[in-house]
Amino acid sequence: MNHLIRGRPIAEFRRIIQDPVLFIGLILVVLFVSITILSPIYAMVEESLTEEGQELFDRYLSSPVYRNIIRNTLEMGLIVAATGTALGFLLAYIQVKVAMPFKRLMHITYLIPIISPPFAVASAVLLLLGRNGIISKGWLGVRYDIYGLDGLTLVLTLSYFTVAYMNLKGMMQALDPALDEAATNLGASKFRIFRTVTIPMLIPGIAGSFLLLFVEAIADLGNPLVMGGNYEVLSTRIYVSIVGLYNTTAAAVLSVILLVPSLLVFMVQRYWISRTSVVSVTGKPTGTPQQITHPLVRWPLFAVGICASLFILLVYGTIFAGAFTKILNVNNEFTLDHFDFVINGYGSEAMKDTTQLAAIATPIAGLLGMIIAFLVVRKKFMGRAALDFATMLGIAVPGTIIGIGYLLVFNTPNEITLPLLGTIEVIPKLTGGRAIFGGAGAIILVFIVRSTPAALRAGVAALSQIDPSIEEASISLGADNIGTFRRITLPLIRPAFFSGLVYAFARSMTTISAIIFLTTSRTKIMTHQILNEVENGRYGNAFAYCVILIGIVLTAIVILSVAVGTTTGAEKSIEGGA
Amino acid sequence: MANEQVGTLVLENVSKIFPQRDGQGEVRAVDNVSLTIHEGEFLTLLGPSGCGKTTTLRLISGFEMPSAGRILLDGQDISHRPPNKRDMAMVFQSYALFPHMTVFNNIAYGLRIQHVSRSEIKARVDKVLDLMGLHNLGERRPNELSGGQQQRVALARSLVVEPRVLLFDEPLSNLDAKLRVQMRSEIRNIQRRLNITSVYVTHDQVEAMALSDRVVIMNEGQIEQIDSPEEIYRRPVSRFVADFIGRANFLPATVEAVTDEQVTMTLLGHKVTARAKFAPAVGDQLTAVLRPEALLLKSDPNLPQAVVKQAMYLGASSEYIVDVDGQELVVVESDPSTEQIFREDQMVGISFVAETVHLLAQ
Amino acid sequence: MKKLSILVFCFLLAAALAPAMVASPAAFVEAQEDTLTVLCTPQEDWCIAMTQAFEEETGIETSYVRMSSGESLARIRATQDDPEFSVWWGGPADAFIAAYEEGLIEPYEPALASVLAPNAVGVDHAWHGVYVGALGFCSNIDFLEELGIEAPTSWQDLLAPELKGNVAMAHPATSGTAFTAFWTVVTLKADELEAAEAGTGYDENGAPTEAAIDNAFEYFGELHQNILQYTRSGSAPGTMAANGEIAVAIIFSHDCVKLQVEGFEGVVMTTFPEEGTGYEIGGMGLIKGAPEPEAAKMWIEWALTPEAQAVAATVNSLQLPTNPETPVSDLSVKLEEVNLVNYNFIAAGTNRTAVVERFDAEIAPQPVE
Repeated sequence: MNHLIRGRPIAEFRRIIQDPVLFIGLILVVLFVSITILSPIYAMVEESLTEEGQELFDRYLSSPVYRNIIRNTLEMGLIVAATGTALGFLLAYIQVKVAMPFKRLMHITYLIPIISPPFAVASAVLLLLGRNGIISKGWLGVRYDIYGLDGLTLVLTLSYFTVAYMNLKGMMQALDPALDEAATNLGASKFRIFRTVTIPMLIPGIAGSFLLLFVEAIADLGNPLVMGGNYEVLSTRIYVSIVGLYNTTAAAVLSVILLVPSLLVFMVQRYWISRTSVVSVTGKPTGTPQQITHPLVRWPLFAVGICASLFILLVYGTIFAGAFTKILNVNNEFTLDHFDFVINGYGSEAMKDTTQLAAIATPIAGLLGMIIAFLVVRKKFMGRAALDFATMLGIAVPGTIIGIGYLLVFNTPNEITLPLLGTIEVIPKLTGGRAIFGGAGAIILVFIVRSTPAALRAGVAALSQIDPSIEEASISLGADNIGTFRRITLPLIRPAFFSGLVYAFARSMTTISAIIFLTTSRTKIMTHQILNEVENGRYGNAFAYCVILIGIVLTAIVILSVAVGTTTGAEKSIEGGA
Repeated sequence: MANEQVGTLVLENVSKIFPQRDGQGEVRAVDNVSLTIHEGEFLTLLGPSGCGKTTTLRLISGFEMPSAGRILLDGQDISHRPPNKRDMAMVFQSYALFPHMTVFNNIAYGLRIQHVSRSEIKARVDKVLDLMGLHNLGERRPNELSGGQQQRVALARSLVVEPRVLLFDEPLSNLDAKLRVQMRSEIRNIQRRLNITSVYVTHDQVEAMALSDRVVIMNEGQIEQIDSPEEIYRRPVSRFVADFIGRANFLPATVEAVTDEQVTMTLLGHKVTARAKFAPAVGDQLTAVLRPEALLLKSDPNLPQAVVKQAMYLGASSEYIVDVDGQELVVVESDPSTEQIFREDQMVGISFVAETVHLLAQ
Repeated sequence: MKKLSILVFCFLLAAALAPAMVASPAAFVEAQEDTLTVLCTPQEDWCIAMTQAFEEETGIETSYVRMSSGESLARIRATQDDPEFSVWWGGPADAFIAAYEEGLIEPYEPALASVLAPNAVGVDHAWHGVYVGALGFCSNIDFLEELGIEAPTSWQDLLAPELKGNVAMAHPATSGTAFTAFWTVVTLKADELEAAEAGTGYDENGAPTEAAIDNAFEYFGELHQNILQYTRSGSAPGTMAANGEIAVAIIFSHDCVKLQVEGFEGVVMTTFPEEGTGYEIGGMGLIKGAPEPEAAKMWIEWALTPEAQAVAATVNSLQLPTNPETPVSDLSVKLEEVNLVNYNFIAAGTNRTAVVERFDAEIAPQPVE
């Protein structure tokens, strides 16, 4: 009996070997994931477990000061998760269930934060609501102290609520309207339906969004750096440990402390929430959702929705205005100097470098995501769950941790010693200005590592919707695995591929925490430059960077939609043929 | 005829073992199956769901690899050959048309893989479009076609590559009843015309009977019986087969006399003699299989009496459930005339066509 | 159509990859000396102007990374096996002294070393001064008025309860400015101790004693209650003051003047602590194991010339030049008018690492009541 159970994976293994391309592909993917994701995390954990590290653990965990910092971090995470999820839920509910004007426009404004660079929101909010803010001081005459938890809550909520909004909106639209109808039939009031049907059905989505926002918030580095005030959190401590003291052990120890809640949440999300999901996406709703039309409910909700839109527009309007004025709120003279600085001046290097590196990372991350999705969904092999998990770690782990891990692993060439051939350099030095490609290699890898997970999830979701026999049909007609992937699978998951690419590009252009330790004299990254400008209060330059960055991302989306296409070609025909 | 002996496709003691979902233990989805499929033959794998028929087909196609045993195509061992190198084409239950390609491109797909020249592709695809009655639909997309048309495209796509063996995985189960019958005869006609060796999986016994040269009845991973449809219907080797194919009444019987292979016993008060494939001894308990249409009802007090428990008039036939000494039997009377229609609770005389009695060992 | 789009995509991909491929060999080239990588500590615009001027002067392709002193020191230390920078330019000299003690700096004597004041030349010519600046308080005039207080003129003034949460300085771990501020207070505390009892404030080498350092920590512990935020960069608090986010910034006075010149005239004002203020001598040194040593030496030679030092004024960096021949702006601080402490650069450099680590552990993470 036993030998048969053991015999099965071997048979599957044999089958994978039989298709050398698949086999090599699998090996390459596994190698890539091990080297670029697992080894940096491992190195960081290892570093934190050295004798010195263990002493630091003891010190940090017993010191009231550090306990306070840990508590701050968790507190901020929980508050932002709660406010972000609540806002996302409310706005999604308004979009899906309330009949009102300007819906589409409001929806678009809610999406803006996704493609916006870090600090953009924080800087604009400082200018608007800060101690000398245009609104707070200028209009209301209040010197509002926005530094600290309240400011962070506002800024992080605004930056991350979109995740919850998109999640919950998708879920609400997928909810079978028949449920509502059934409840109405049974005589339930709208509020009762909301309480007893809508909310329970969405619990997994709400919990999922909450956890996602929690992780994003505790991992965020840029915003606490700009407006944390005296509210110290782990990510800023990690940053000072590296940047100010270059104490990698301390940074690793603090990172591991930060890693624990992140990973915990990731596991809960993965193994609990995803299993309890009650919403089945059938693709075709059986009716149109009933819309709330009662004026006493409708108009207050409309007000909430429009206020959120207006606030987002105000924030981004400030960025835009700030980019074109000398010093916003001090000298409001029109100027193009800031753009000159970014486009023609010193900033052009960062602009070109970042765009180029993101452009290299994007197709790799997109394809890698689709390939891993394909392997995970379609192929049976030992450890496919592990492969999926390891890839997801790229985003589940806070960016600072990836960055520090890269410093630990790739700051010197990685060599192996073979018995006959001697020492061979397997991976050259990747980080730092003296590394190959001026340190760009490590940055590209980080871009890929950070954006592949989203492409993977999109790919998995898309593939699960596609009948595997379509691919089998291709194979049965003589195509091999690669040919089938190229001719059949990829075109069919084109929308997922497209969104994976867009996400990869946007993420690469806007990431800061993971690459802040990796920029070099030869490779400059826009977000890092923006941080410099924001820190030194040169908001004009910072906003010009932001405007250009948003412009680049939007242009890339247009280019990608033309080059890759957003549809599979299967749906087009519906109008075409009828 | 020599060819037939060798067999185009041969399965030798093939087994397929899956681990159980919970990771504990295993399932023998296909258990030591041996099978020979002849040139040009239409063979159907038939059985209830979970009997291993689909797994067997997937082993033949190469989508699964056997845990044990060999699969031979024209004498060559292809057990571990990847599915795209097997020169077989499969028609799927869900049709599995490529939704992003036109009908023409769907059909041309396999030829393009083979690097057939552009002009030849055009000629061959057009020919098969004609054959399948799909002309003028070449530029449509699959989702603009009706279910029947989609099924035809799926079949055309597999036919056009002229595979050595054509495989069907319950291709008609998504069609409505009427179309199913129509497509059934189309498949049969085309297969005959092109003389392509075909293996067909279905759980629909009528479909299996209508299409096949031979039917393989599978149960729990094993082959119960391989025979022509007629043989399977008339002479099922087991109670499972008899029950699965058509409907059957099982009557216990005691062997009263045996001469040569002729066994004499008493059934429903009639003394009958029937052939047995095995050698029973006097006094053995046997099971006699009587098809519902072999039973005859007649208002005749001289015959053994039965009580009608349920009567259903179906137009072309009448169906009864009758009680004979506490045993319920199904009776089908075809083309019933008015005086032949019985009511519930009515007493009727029952008899049967002695030649149709089939014996199974207990 | 589909084929076309694939082609377009491939083309874009190739276009994106090509420059990286072409650019890569340059990165492999070992010290061809037609490039120079500068680690630059002053404000970004000055770094840009300097590297551009040097590039025009010599034709050497010059790139830089701007990092605050503490960051720079940490980075050089971390990459000492394979340094990525050749020359480190700017930032208070104590960081250079610390770096030299750790063996991260290679002494090099430029021709113009002789024109410098004696205190602008490091031991063994490990570093040379390129500018001088005095520490001051940069205050937002309106904000002070609102708070109803005068601009601070002593270190004690900064502890005023009105200023709670309204003062900013950089983190000494990252910023040389903040470290200079810290060491200034150490020096003042040493003077106090010495005045009370000779020998308690300074040791036999003239370095402030542990007791003086402890007293300084006590002071910064109190000041911490008034600090809004420790920034990474030394000059950043000045902009916060200019933007009205805080009332008082502890920065170099020239950074405050720069703000005034660049649009915040009448918004911010500079004051100096009466009991004494610290000053920096902006250092410059050759990094040990520099990948481009010859180009770096050319930079060091050039940076001491009046032409190079005059670049500062073009970007409103109003530090005092160290080459006496460089014209001095009227806006620059007049050192004779402020009370400078007896700043012991060597002691500062020696104690630097220990002090910033202690600051980061004891002061910065403390909660504010």
